[in-house]
Amino acid sequence: MMPQPPRLAWQLLARRVPAPWREFVLGDLEEEFRARAETDPPSARRWFWRQALRCAIHPPRTAQAYPYSTFSPGDFWMRTLIGDIRYGVRVLRRSPSFALAVIVVFALGIGANTAIFSIVNTVLLRPLPFQDSDRLVRLFHVPPQSTFPGLKTFSISPANFLDWQRRARSFDGMAMYQFREFALTGSGGAESILAAAVGKGFFDIVGTKPALGRTFLPEEDDPAHGHAAILSDAFWRSHFGAAPDIVGRTLTLDGRRYDIVGVMPPKFSNRAWSATGRDIWVPLAQTDEQKAVRDNHNLQAIARLRPGVTVAQASAEMQAISRQLEAEYPKEDAGWGATVISLRELIVGDIRLSLVMLLSAVALVLLIACANVGNLLFARALARRKEIAIRSALGAARRRVLAQLLVETLLLAGAGGALGLLLAKQALSAGATLLADQVPRADELTMDWRVVSFVVGLSLLTGILAGAFPAFRAGRTDLNETLKEGGRHDSAVGVRTRRVLIVCEVALSVVLLMGASLMIRTLANLRNVDAGFDPHGVLAMRVSLATSRFHSGGQMFDSLDHTLAELRALPGVQAAGAIDDLPVTGGSVQPIVLEGHPELLPSDQPTVNVRTIRPGYLATMRIPVVRGRDIVDSDDNVMLVSRATAKLLWGSEDPIGRRVSLPLQSKSTMMQVIGIVGDVKQSDLTMPVDPTVYEVTRESLTDALAKGSAGSFGVAVVLRSTVPPLSVAQSAVAAVHRVDPTSPVDDVKTMDAILDDTTTAQRFSATLLGAFAGLALILASVGIYSVLSYIVRGRSREIGIRTALGASASAVVRMVIVEGMTPAALGIVVGAAAALLSARLLEKLVFGVSASDPLTLALVTGSLAAVALLASLVPAYRATRVDPIAVLRA
Amino acid sequence: MWFKSETAALGDFEQLVLFGVLRLGDEAYGAAIRQEIHARSGRDVSINAVYTTLDRLEGKRLLRSWVGEPTAQRGGRRRKHYALTPVGTASLRRAYQAVLAMADGFERRLDVK
Repeated sequence: MMPQPPRLAWQLLARRVPAPWREFVLGDLEEEFRARAETDPPSARRWFWRQALRCAIHPPRTAQAYPYSTFSPGDFWMRTLIGDIRYGVRVLRRSPSFALAVIVVFALGIGANTAIFSIVNTVLLRPLPFQDSDRLVRLFHVPPQSTFPGLKTFSISPANFLDWQRRARSFDGMAMYQFREFALTGSGGAESILAAAVGKGFFDIVGTKPALGRTFLPEEDDPAHGHAAILSDAFWRSHFGAAPDIVGRTLTLDGRRYDIVGVMPPKFSNRAWSATGRDIWVPLAQTDEQKAVRDNHNLQAIARLRPGVTVAQASAEMQAISRQLEAEYPKEDAGWGATVISLRELIVGDIRLSLVMLLSAVALVLLIACANVGNLLFARALARRKEIAIRSALGAARRRVLAQLLVETLLLAGAGGALGLLLAKQALSAGATLLADQVPRADELTMDWRVVSFVVGLSLLTGILAGAFPAFRAGRTDLNETLKEGGRHDSAVGVRTRRVLIVCEVALSVVLLMGASLMIRTLANLRNVDAGFDPHGVLAMRVSLATSRFHSGGQMFDSLDHTLAELRALPGVQAAGAIDDLPVTGGSVQPIVLEGHPELLPSDQPTVNVRTIRPGYLATMRIPVVRGRDIVDSDDNVMLVSRATAKLLWGSEDPIGRRVSLPLQSKSTMMQVIGIVGDVKQSDLTMPVDPTVYEVTRESLTDALAKGSAGSFGVAVVLRSTVPPLSVAQSAVAAVHRVDPTSPVDDVKTMDAILDDTTTAQRFSATLLGAFAGLALILASVGIYSVLSYIVRGRSREIGIRTALGASASAVVRMVIVEGMTPAALGIVVGAAAALLSARLLEKLVFGVSASDPLTLALVTGSLAAVALLASLVPAYRATRVDPIAVLRA
Repeated sequence: MWFKSETAALGDFEQLVLFGVLRLGDEAYGAAIRQEIHARSGRDVSINAVYTTLDRLEGKRLLRSWVGEPTAQRGGRRRKHYALTPVGTASLRRAYQAVLAMADGFERRLDVK
């Protein structure tokens, strides 16, 4: 592809060069650009920009079109502007420290805004990287509210999906998929890889073509057919060195051979959607028996809306179909509805509120920066009153004076904007890894034309906001008075204006500080939540057992128990155990049936979290056994119930010795309750504790193995150590591999780190808001300090006279401090009111504290008052040093 | 002047542009002229200055122009080619003679060549 000249420069040229010349000038420049770009593209771009700017300032004139004697009005305007810019540059060069201060403040404000806007732009504004991504939707069941209170979406069952597919008219296509894990063996050790098993038509619906090879054929979605696999771009590169002849080679997954039929392009591997953020894809290939299951909800579905159909219409149709199915299959489907949600909403919906909050916060920082710069400019405009008065006296229209001052500010804002853009770029690339865990779609983060236009627009707005008021005020100068005054600066002019600026700065700072404090308290509250277990000193790791290697659940448990025994023997390890899903990471939720009670409709059945554990788990996690006993190796078909479960199912009766069944696993297996244990938060720290049962059964696992559901059985192995947990990680992994060298081990983490992972969103908001609030506080205190210093300097004559007449130093100090604290106090009051009004935005983001918490508000206002006082002290001290004699003589 | 002169007086930059056109022959168009001036005289003039001058010289009938074929290198745009008219050649000759005549004998003093 031929190199293209910079678009913006090109557009500028196309506008500025007169029509008769346009073709030849643009052609010439493009031709020379191409020639230069062959050797050095960056310098060619710079050259093009230089040429474009020169042409824009002095476009070629044609003798025919523009006689020399007349200028068009636009030309006159341009020349005046250029003149103003040149003059502005000269003026600013004369006071470089002032210019630098203003540029730095602007750069910080605009840079912070740009960084946050880049995130908003990528996450919220840009479409997902799939073809016509706005038509992609996910389909869900809506579970019966009596059994799953508060749950709005649920995985789907295969039989219901197939009925939806046959009946729905709103979609171009729909496909099921399911997440799987495989153990990859063959080259060296075992490795756990993430896979998605996808139903017929999945890739057509997502609308992405493979980079190499093909996607799955319809006949490959059949368990009788051989195994096929499609690789992600990253997996292809990391495991096959991007071999171009990859199609036709094979992989060994869980001991089975898979033929590689294709490789997806890199843009398909979007981490934001778990179905695409995988290493490989395989066909779902369900058996007829699996397809007939209606009451087990363990699949996901993606669909593409027909053009012109809205999400609401599709949702309505799906609800109607669900009602038909409820009538046809009351036993399985009673109470199960359906809903359609756009894929984009699912991916970015959660973060939207946080981003909007951050964008508002960072806008406040910019407003404070504007107030500060406004303050500086105002002081400068007053100092330049004489120059302005002379220009007016010589006949400069007020409009021209105003324009000149505004152009100067815009120059500063433009420079600040450019620097801010660089700062934002640096900040984003430095924080890229941090962002990746906290924001969906962070891997797509780039700056595009929207960000650049945002910076340009923001710089203009900032310049006008900060510059208009001082320019306007300075333009109103009384000529006669100013010229008579002869340049003496002994009265404080415009004090009222500057007090207003202080009020604004302080008020905005209160709002920001309040937000930051609330987020920090939220984070602290989340850390102090009692999750029901003791995470300190616990190491967790995920071990994937390939199901194809075991014939029964018992055999698998024996292997696992052997591993646990090896781990317990390690030096420094106190206890070790295993569970299928760790706390705070979610897991299986199933209906439960008590012995002697009839099995109710699924919609009326109570549900509990079901976890499979091995002995040692409770001791490792320090989950207390309240009554009864812990499990031992020899136990089978027994169950421990949490306190909340005991209360939910048996009320005040004693559950120990009762028998229950989990119909989704096996209707015939009865399990005996042998103990009551403490409650644990299974899904989320912010939610109430979940009723949980811990089962020990070999039978249900054997059933699962017999059904041949391909993939691995992942278990979380936990161990408690007397030494720092990560220091035993290496020997622990080695111990697992001594027992079973083909089981991949990954996600080796401390339990503390796993808990931290659940609070990333809050940490993200708290960190950024804290930084913004800190910046605001610094800007506000600098603002108060500079205004007070100015006032003290302006009133030194008055202060000198007061001192000469016998005013004590303390009286002078008090006077200056009152001068500074009055607007600050007013700002605090206004800010507190604004913070309470904005509490509604934060209410959904805070935890364990009210968004209008009086204690936090008191702390924030108190600390701002202290900062304002500190900022007043230096000018107050300076006022006491005014020498009355020197002042009176002057 | 009350009579129409056969030749026109030339400015310094106009001379450079005319020499450029002469030197480039069939390949004389805006960008090439600009590069030629830059390469030989060291003056990095902007394209707009070249076009303004070309237009003025054409207005004075010292140059004639025609439009070429579009090329891919130029994004499908055409070139505007220039060549000296007889009046242009005469004017350039006169200007060059004037410079040569005035400069005669000063080569050593001005430290040229």
